[in-house]
Amino acid sequence: MSDSPLISTPPAAEAALVERLRTRDQSAMTEFYDRYSAALYGVINRIVKDEEEAEDVLQEALVKIWHSMASYDNSKGRLFTWVVNISRNLAIDKIRSRQHRVGSRTQGLDDSLAAQRQAAPDTFRPEHVGLQEITSKLVPEQRQVIDLLYFGGFTQSEAAEELNLPLGTVKTRARTALKILAKLIR
Amino acid sequence: MEDYQEYIESGRLEQYVLGDLDPAGQAEVESWAARFPQVRQELDELQAGLGVYAEAHAVAPPAGMRDRVLSRVLAEIGSAENATPAATISNAPLAAPAPTMRVSASNPRPAETYAAAPAASSRSGWAIAASVALLLSLAVNALLYSRWQQASSDLVAAQNSQARFAQTTQVMERRLNSTQEQLHVLRSPQEYKMVALAGTPAHPTARARVMYSTKEHRVYLDVQQLPALPAGKQYQLWALDKGKPVDAGVLAANTAAGDSIQQMKDIASAQAFAMTVEPTGGSAGPTLDTMTVIGNM
Repeated sequence: MSDSPLISTPPAAEAALVERLRTRDQSAMTEFYDRYSAALYGVINRIVKDEEEAEDVLQEALVKIWHSMASYDNSKGRLFTWVVNISRNLAIDKIRSRQHRVGSRTQGLDDSLAAQRQAAPDTFRPEHVGLQEITSKLVPEQRQVIDLLYFGGFTQSEAAEELNLPLGTVKTRARTALKILAKLIR
Repeated sequence: MEDYQEYIESGRLEQYVLGDLDPAGQAEVESWAARFPQVRQELDELQAGLGVYAEAHAVAPPAGMRDRVLSRVLAEIGSAENATPAATISNAPLAAPAPTMRVSASNPRPAETYAAAPAASSRSGWAIAASVALLLSLAVNALLYSRWQQASSDLVAAQNSQARFAQTTQVMERRLNSTQEQLHVLRSPQEYKMVALAGTPAHPTARARVMYSTKEHRVYLDVQQLPALPAGKQYQLWALDKGKPVDAGVLAANTAAGDSIQQMKDIASAQAFAMTVEPTGGSAGPTLDTMTVIGNM
């Protein structure tokens, strides 16, 4: 695993990579892959829950990132934020189209509840301290909300309905959780 | 002046970072962030937080994936690079004839009109066929759309009823567990000793019994008859160990009414049990003159 977190990569190093990608330097793509693939693949895999499909989505994401590089605006956020959003959106599109195809949205209930229950063993990787540290910082209720919103592609109101909570509670939990997480990199 | 603090609290920023806003909503958030540094900072923090969360889930991709994915990606972006100039070139002549055609349509030369006539009639035949096909396709689309709408509303209804069913099942499961537990207590005379609690002279009709497992230290209480309580009071069970009272917990309303068996606090050792009336929530020590029932093991 990278020892310097991507989200806190020095902006200068990021800018250099962005510049090379913009000038259509294909070797920059290889470097990009080596730096970002684990993080992007992790998010995608967590959403689509299927290795083969995750690989397809990662490939799609890389191609899309390459072609949309011109529209990346570093004043709106970090490169990592931008690329992870592209990957996440593609992954969520994938599960939505899958749900449409077989109508597996019926599994909404088991899916989310079962995913909550299995979350720990499923994602536990001893070499990775980040997740454990995070688990200890967030209460399960906050994690549950963030997981639904981030990995489940739920809107805040959908999450409120799914968890049977007032919308305000979902908003507060999401906000508190994100603030706690942000403090981890200071 | 608009209140940025209120905007920060509104939940829009979270929606923005989670990709839950349409382009208009995104633009709105961005304009707030541009006007108020506080909003910008808040937004950056939320984004960083989410980044931490995303990155915490990093997984090294399976072996062999690097070569597969990179070679496919490089092939795709390489061929797109080569195709782009070709595409722009082939686009140019396509764009060029358009004005020429407009000129000739608005300013037709007689010779051309003559030559175009038979072609036009065969073209109108095609146009009719195309229109019919389009109408048919519209009709089929409308039909499919309404079926699809119906299917998705059916699906929502099915999901709702599934959710309700799951909730009911959970409640039933919980009840079943507690009933089975009670049955086990009642059916294990070796494990659970029955201690009959008889009414004190002040309350001769009061009766209850305690099931006590000396091995597991568990205490269950079953009420047959207890006097009604004044407001603000609750029955509390005490275990007497070598003459010293030990709190065994207060009785829930339905336990006091005799509707169900209640598991009380675990008791390490006891020779007798007694019940008193205490202020709601229980007391640290028994109020002896309110003692209602008592029984020795």
